[in-house]
Amino acid sequence: MIGIVVVSHSPALAHAAVALALQITGDTKPQIAIAAGAGDDVIGTDAVRVAEAIDEVASPDGVLVFMDLGSAVLSTTMALEFRESTNEVRLSSAPFVEGIVAGVVLAAAGASLDDADREASSAMTAKNAQLGPATAAPAEAPRGAAPAEAVAEATIVNEVGLHARPASLIVARMADFDATVTVSDADDPQRSTSAGSVLGLMGLAFAKGTRVRFTGTGADAADAVEALRAMTADGFGE
Amino acid sequence: MGATATLPQLVDWLTRFRDVVAENQGYLTELDSAIGDADHGSNMTRGMNAVIGKLGEPAAVDALFKTVGMTLVSTVGGASGPLYGTFFLRIGTTAGAVAELDGPALSEALRAGLAGVIQRGNAEPGDKTMVDALTPALDAFDAAVGSGDDLAAAARAAADAAAKGRDETEPLVARKGRASYLGERSAGHLDPGATSTALLFESLAQALA
Repeated sequence: MIGIVVVSHSPALAHAAVALALQITGDTKPQIAIAAGAGDDVIGTDAVRVAEAIDEVASPDGVLVFMDLGSAVLSTTMALEFRESTNEVRLSSAPFVEGIVAGVVLAAAGASLDDADREASSAMTAKNAQLGPATAAPAEAPRGAAPAEAVAEATIVNEVGLHARPASLIVARMADFDATVTVSDADDPQRSTSAGSVLGLMGLAFAKGTRVRFTGTGADAADAVEALRAMTADGFGE
Repeated sequence: MGATATLPQLVDWLTRFRDVVAENQGYLTELDSAIGDADHGSNMTRGMNAVIGKLGEPAAVDALFKTVGMTLVSTVGGASGPLYGTFFLRIGTTAGAVAELDGPALSEALRAGLAGVIQRGNAEPGDKTMVDALTPALDAFDAAVGSGDDLAAAARAAADAAAKGRDETEPLVARKGRASYLGERSAGHLDPGATSTALLFESLAQALA
């Protein structure tokens, strides 16, 4: 499992962002290290502490680092010279909160460094899609590239719709299958995203009563769409 | 004044820098409040106080500047931490485990420091950063050493060039750091980083005088 490092000027900000992310992951929690503040209640960043944080969560699968503003980036690039671990470290360009949420959820689901990095970096796309009309959602499954092998539909029963926690459950469940699944609004198929994209799913924000279509390709496509259908019909255990 | 900068003189340089940064803490922060986040004076004062508190009796030039650099990156908090930290760390690794530096050796070490700052911050001359004081200071230092001046004269020339470089940041539009968010509105203010760098070279001139 990849490790996550959170670099912030403010310990309170870093801890709150991590708490938000952990609230929507399941029981599996990735290794997360926080490097925030410059000691003694000083708002700032400390390259030595960032290096320690990277070493704390270093794993053969790699480490993904999320940074807030300005010197957080400088301190982190400097930390790469100080650290003792030799595993790959990726500095995410994602916006801080959205990136941490996506990174933590994807890490918990066992995603690769590439996939977690890509998903986190697509955070702005997801937010833009939520705000604007019909902007492309992130990590969209290729359309028309391969024939759909399995389709299933279910209606959202949760009062608050398909929010962050169900989105993370879908992403985590997808890790069990060798399949690519597109999640779309059956009545408005333009509104679609990949079942592997927690931010894409959150961005769609399907409300209660929405008929959701799962379209899968790949070896486990049938099992995957059935699993997602059952979870949705069941209200994601809520 | 001899042909070398000794360990006690280098410690004196850093001590003078701490003192003058502390004296100008309010001024540096005022400059930073105009175009940045109003913490350069307090950040540098905290960092240099921590540095002086940790120096003790350094065994060699490389050990001295390693302590300086590592302390700054851990205590300054803002972008000046990694930037000044890199500057001093590169000086140390370039100088090596020696007890004193002659003109060419000091020049080489300072050049490595400047290269480190540029690499870390991706700044170029004219971006309205500390590089705009650092670059002319080192050019003047090298020219003086090259023409046979002693270290005192070379350091004085560097300090004067750094002050001129600082002054010339006033009309510039910032292209790096928080000040760059202001765009054209950053013009008409001295750059705080170039200002603290000018203080650094004024301190060097005094320590080597």
